[in-house]
Amino acid sequence: MAQVETQYFGTMSYREDSVFDFPDGLPAFVHEKRFIPIESPQHSPLLFLQSMTQPALCFLALPIQVVAPDYRIAISREDLVLLELQPDRQPELANEVAVLALLSLHDGLAATANLMAPIVVNLKTRRALQAIRQDSGYSHQHPVPRFAEQAC
Amino acid sequence: MLVLRRRAGESVFIGDDIEIEILAISSQGAKIGIRAPRETVILRKELKLTQQQNEAAAQILAKKDFERALEKLRV
Repeated sequence: MAQVETQYFGTMSYREDSVFDFPDGLPAFVHEKRFIPIESPQHSPLLFLQSMTQPALCFLALPIQVVAPDYRIAISREDLVLLELQPDRQPELANEVAVLALLSLHDGLAATANLMAPIVVNLKTRRALQAIRQDSGYSHQHPVPRFAEQAC
Repeated sequence: MLVLRRRAGESVFIGDDIEIEILAISSQGAKIGIRAPRETVILRKELKLTQQQNEAAAQILAKKDFERALEKLRV
């Protein structure tokens, strides 16, 4: 099985079909086109988005509904096309797409989530991008509620 | 913040070589045109914020701090 160097978990094996493929990278990281999502039972529901080219680059993310249970997605037509989804309607959360909020940890204390520009992944093709909202309803620094550990 | 009232077809200059022209105004928003030197970076604000936020999000914490931060999150 293929292996990847990670920031927090040492060398890990991964399946090629679990890789998130960002054809355009992420804003400020346009050359980072492949990330592997790592779940750690100990840290659930946190998700680690590990760059496959830079071991030191690892984003922390939470499913958007964990951060904001009533979050309404609003993905632009242009982004839906890039994601190879139907452009005339919003996709179904969990069924068609995963939507993740990237977290920032400030001085190792309070955390915020970027609800203005969530990561959207087409679950069928694993194609992904950071979908910047055109409206101004959600903050790029939304305080993260504390979450209880989910029972496995 | 400097606030100016401009109509469609009118423009303002920022410095000597950046011109911002209001091309059209509708209920959907204002359409603006920008003339600037090639090296001037022009970004929609939400993209700029996303870049900055991603840079902040990518900052690696020392393992100890990281574990402590996670503890705070989970409580």
